[in-house]
Amino acid sequence: MFSGWNWVAYGLYLFLNICSLEVSGGLVQSCGHIIPESPVLALGSNFTALCVLNESCLDFGNIYANQIIWKIKNRVVPKEQYHEINRTVSSVTFNDTSSLATPLTCNILADGQIEQNIYGITVTLGLPPEKPRNVSCIVHQVSKLTYPMTCTWNPGRRMFLDTHFRLKYKWPRDNFPDCVPKDVNNSCTITDVQFFVNLEVWVEAANALGKAESDPLVFDPIEIVKPLSPHNLSVNSGILPTVLKLSWENRISAAVMKLKFNIRYRIIGETNWMKVPPEDTASPRTSFSVQGLRPYTEYVFSIRCMKEDGVGYWSDWSEEKTGVTTEDKPSKGPPIWRIIDASRSPASWTVHLMWKALESFEANGVILQYEVTVRAKSSLTSPSEKYNVNTTNLTLKLPNGTYEMTVIAHNRVGASPPSILLIPTSNLKAPVKNIRTLPKDGKLWVGWTAPNSYVLKYVIEWCLLSNSSDCIIEWQNEPGNVQGTYLKGDIKPFKCYLITVYPLYADDQGSGQTVKAYLQQDRPSKGPTVQTKKVGKAEAVLTWNHLTVDEQNGFIRSYTIFYKTVDGNETAVTVDSSKTEYTLSSLTSDTLYTVRMMAYTDEGGRSGPDFTFTTQKFGKGEIEAIVVPVCLVFLLIVLLGVLFCFNKCDLIKKHIWPNVPDPSKSNIAKWSPQVPAKHNFSSKDQMYPKGGFTDVSVAEIEADDKKSFSEQDLKPFDLLKKEKSTSEGHSSGIGGSSCMSFPRQSVSDSDEGETTQNTSSTVQYSTVVLNGYRDQTPVQVFSRSESTQPLLVSEERSEDHAGGSDSTTQKQQYFKQNCGQDETNTDRLCFERAKQITPANEGDLVGFAQLQILGPSSQPLGLGMEKNTQEAALSDVLQTSTEGQSVRHETVEGNPLSVDEMPKSYLLQTVRQGGYTPQ
Amino acid sequence: CSAPRPAQAISGSTVPTDPHWLGPRRDARLSPRTGVVPFMALLLLQRRPVAGRVLLVTGPGCPGHGLCRSNVQEQTRRQVALLNATAQDLFSLYLKCQGEPFSSETDKLCNPGGVFFPAFRVNRTSERKEVMVAMYKLFAFLNASLGNITHDQEELNPTAKELLDRLHNTTKTTRGLISNLTCLLCKNYNVFQVDVSYGESSKGKSAFKKKQQGCQVLRKYVQVIAQAARILLPHLSPP
Repeated sequence: MFSGWNWVAYGLYLFLNICSLEVSGGLVQSCGHIIPESPVLALGSNFTALCVLNESCLDFGNIYANQIIWKIKNRVVPKEQYHEINRTVSSVTFNDTSSLATPLTCNILADGQIEQNIYGITVTLGLPPEKPRNVSCIVHQVSKLTYPMTCTWNPGRRMFLDTHFRLKYKWPRDNFPDCVPKDVNNSCTITDVQFFVNLEVWVEAANALGKAESDPLVFDPIEIVKPLSPHNLSVNSGILPTVLKLSWENRISAAVMKLKFNIRYRIIGETNWMKVPPEDTASPRTSFSVQGLRPYTEYVFSIRCMKEDGVGYWSDWSEEKTGVTTEDKPSKGPPIWRIIDASRSPASWTVHLMWKALESFEANGVILQYEVTVRAKSSLTSPSEKYNVNTTNLTLKLPNGTYEMTVIAHNRVGASPPSILLIPTSNLKAPVKNIRTLPKDGKLWVGWTAPNSYVLKYVIEWCLLSNSSDCIIEWQNEPGNVQGTYLKGDIKPFKCYLITVYPLYADDQGSGQTVKAYLQQDRPSKGPTVQTKKVGKAEAVLTWNHLTVDEQNGFIRSYTIFYKTVDGNETAVTVDSSKTEYTLSSLTSDTLYTVRMMAYTDEGGRSGPDFTFTTQKFGKGEIEAIVVPVCLVFLLIVLLGVLFCFNKCDLIKKHIWPNVPDPSKSNIAKWSPQVPAKHNFSSKDQMYPKGGFTDVSVAEIEADDKKSFSEQDLKPFDLLKKEKSTSEGHSSGIGGSSCMSFPRQSVSDSDEGETTQNTSSTVQYSTVVLNGYRDQTPVQVFSRSESTQPLLVSEERSEDHAGGSDSTTQKQQYFKQNCGQDETNTDRLCFERAKQITPANEGDLVGFAQLQILGPSSQPLGLGMEKNTQEAALSDVLQTSTEGQSVRHETVEGNPLSVDEMPKSYLLQTVRQGGYTPQ
Repeated sequence: CSAPRPAQAISGSTVPTDPHWLGPRRDARLSPRTGVVPFMALLLLQRRPVAGRVLLVTGPGCPGHGLCRSNVQEQTRRQVALLNATAQDLFSLYLKCQGEPFSSETDKLCNPGGVFFPAFRVNRTSERKEVMVAMYKLFAFLNASLGNITHDQEELNPTAKELLDRLHNTTKTTRGLISNLTCLLCKNYNVFQVDVSYGESSKGKSAFKKKQQGCQVLRKYVQVIAQAARILLPHLSPP
């Protein structure tokens, strides 16, 4: 077979020849040829080609061998490789054929310039065949009498040439036709072979560059047989429930080959095969009884065979056949346990007795019924009760006590050994210790430390904790010598199981020890929902509920609270999983916070919803801290004020409730010009037995100026008097002379006596009564004050001064207020009180207000006052008086002089000419 | 075995006689399927029992010296045992496939007394070489006869696949046995030439006669092979 390249080269060669003929026009036609013609060369070998020119061309075209040019494809071969043998023959030599390509052409320069092709050859490169290696053969039995043999080998390297492989074989005296592979080069099948004759097998590889044979292989084909597996396998139950008999047919004659066998079997549904010991089936046979099987169990069998001496190959496993062993009586009693109702009464209890159906290898047949025997241990005389049930549980209501429960399983063959469970009144014996769990291989392992006492067996009880369903108890028994087991149930991942281990003793039960476990944990399915319980200025108390067991998916190891302000960084706080409340502190007041919470299991955490809250502007007690002190201060002030009032009661009283002398009781009523001025001083107490007057207003009316005081001028005065007398009816009649004379206070005649008692001293004023008093004919009289206030020295002086200077008697009348007996400088109080009066006497006391304005310009009372100031003041007063002010209240303020320097009293006098001059 | 063709001999038809009948064994290189030794095939050209001298060795040394190993003796025993084990079945199947009257008149029709069969006069006490030579003569005859029978059955019962397979296998086994015996005779006893006799060819006989001849040969074969197995056992058993 030619390779593709060879065909291409050959086609190109023909094309060149044709072209050569056409182009040359016969000039160089058949002028030469190349020797060898289309060689097949081994890669890497050397090669020499000859171009032989025809003699005819020498004469015709003057073409000689020295003009020959060798070319590979279009590439000129270097002249160093040329060799001119004679004038008609030129050779070219290639030391390594790897540089060769096809076509190799012989060309000539006609006329020294025009290159003409003389001849061309194709060159095929390749490798000689390698010796086939690793020859191996196997005889496959395909039918009872047909044994084809297949041999395989390694053909070796790629040879780039068409290489033929043949499988050769022969007997000592006979050769057989070669086996020629089809479509492959590494295997061949001989349709039939003969056993018990040594066969020599070898592989021959051949191509254009040579032949190679593998090492011969000599064997008897019987030694390399892979027989057909036994067939028609049948399984029959034996007499014994643990035996099954297998029968089969061998498909190879024992005369040809004696066989040995392998038998494997498994319980149906299981995957692991068991094997019959090979030595039991090492001899030719067509049947075998498999022993040691489980009663009433379905088994699957399969068999294979090979040459008895082990030379050759095992057959494939036969088709599988099943068989069922016969029944036997149950090998053990069913595992038994109980659930006692939690609501056990002192007298009786409800016992749910339950047992597990026996495994098939224990039941050894179909369990027809269970026989339950209940025997009270405490009462030896009471007979035992028997129940035959078809289910695996029995509920009994029993009197309180210790019971022995026995369960026996029955099948068609017989009864099982009894299973006994002791139900004591109470589980008082030692429990297991150090109960622990471990997920392992997709199952949940429970381990414990055994108590010191001998334990008959353990009962492991477990249930799935869920909010959506009750805890349905499952259980299993374990022998007393183990301290750990896998839970034999459908244990689901991410579910919480409550596992309890009870040790059962020969005569009692131990109390159960419980542990919670997960087969596999996951992140919680949701996070806790956090909310605030209390929000303060810098702290917030957060509360949350534990996740439900269905939401946990694992053990909650911790919580993490994340909180942040709107534009702040998130802060995380880890909280113990047992907590349901946490106080965030160091918060900023009046700030919106977003808080969320994550619950973590071992597998990770999940966040709950965000919750926002705003801290308060003021902290707890801050308002109280402000308000309470203010209130306290206020109360203190009030208290101090009250105390002050009490302490200064007389003073206040003097100002607020001045004792206005009752004119009716005034001595002036008895006084007449003829009465000496100092008359009745001694009768003061008689007149005012309960006290003196607090203040005295003095009205100085100049007799000479009487006319100047027209009625209009006196009208305000009259109005004042009138108003008081009419509106209150208790006016003293002195004409509002007192700055503290509130109308009501001043008319408290009824309290006169009391008031006078509280007055430590009184000053007797002389009052000018213009109108008639109490139906008296209004005459201009002087009423002398009966004040007991001693006259001051200055007064004496004033008096003297007044007496010494008539000009001083020219003084305008005015009110002079003395706000205290010894507070000559505290005129401000008087002034303020005067202000309080003002609303009542608004219309009447215009001049008084003017005095207030003038006040600052008034000079302090003193010696100077007695000179110019008084005159100026008086002139002012008079000037004002002409404008309608008949009564003046002059306030003295801002006296820079000390008290000692101040005159101690004022001179109260009447300056009217011809009037009475008080003492 | 499919329904057998009617025995033409019974119907009295003429059996063609062609002294140059070669059948499929004309090629000197015997087909592995036939398993007949080429030299014997040539002898089958004769219509009568012929005798010949088989040249076991054509050149210096034993043929296939590398293949004449120590296990050849055991292989020979196993081959004889195999033939003995399968001979009766082969004969029964042959009878079955030939139909009546061979099935019912076996003793009468298949009496081997009427056909040539090489003498096998050796016993357990015979010399091993003598036994080997006798065995060679026997299986040389059987190989040729089985070849003829197979050829006849391929014509008479071409659909009797199992019979044909058994005939082929038996023929091949005898051929292998001859190969082993050649090896043993040459290597162990330096016997390079043995005189052999071949049976009468069925060529040209009627179908009935062919069947009958085959039946007679096979019946004799069953008897002789059992004897050979018994004799050969102590001689070829492993030491």
